[in-house]
Amino acid sequence: MPELEFTIDTASGEFQLHVHGIAGPACDDVAKLMKELLGNPGHDEATAEYRLRPSVRIRSQANANTRAKRA
Amino acid sequence: MSKYLAYREIVFRDRQLLLDSLAELGFSNIEEGEDLPLYGYQGDRRSEAAALVVRRQHIGSGSNDLGFATSEGGYFPIISEYDRRTLLAGQFLPRLRVAYAERVVETVRKRLRGSVHRVNEGSLIKLRVRY
Repeated sequence: MPELEFTIDTASGEFQLHVHGIAGPACDDVAKLMKELLGNPGHDEATAEYRLRPSVRIRSQANANTRAKRA
Repeated sequence: MSKYLAYREIVFRDRQLLLDSLAELGFSNIEEGEDLPLYGYQGDRRSEAAALVVRRQHIGSGSNDLGFATSEGGYFPIISEYDRRTLLAGQFLPRLRVAYAERVVETVRKRLRGSVHRVNEGSLIKLRVRY
């Protein structure tokens, strides 16, 4: 399940966001929403999860390959 | 006379979330406009101007007007050195940022139709939004 983990430091007011469970560019949709509310981040780093392709897409490609081989 | 300081690195992107956050801290009487002049505690007009202003009468005796000016990224606070030290026991800016951040999380939760789980860890608030 996709999860956004926000951390607010009440001493300084600093705000951090970590995005979990959203593979690939779908993460950009969340980033777009965050930029709309927060502006450009002070620090923006893609995690290993970002570089994964969405699992649904991988399966459909695998199916397409299988069909192609059968044909 | 206390000089004004502009905190350009503290930016509040969304006007309504900022107004709501200010109201939560007790500052609901906000003047809105363009290049509104700021006045010091003796009624002296200062050179600074802002788009959102809490007039000193709504803050406290000895306080100066509190403003938020616009930049490309959003609104940034312009606050006198005196008020930075004394307003909400010197915690005005951190508390405003926390109030704003909590509203951001709630807005995200609503947009994504998710649920939120909150954990306090010392001075940190951790909010997990699942959707």
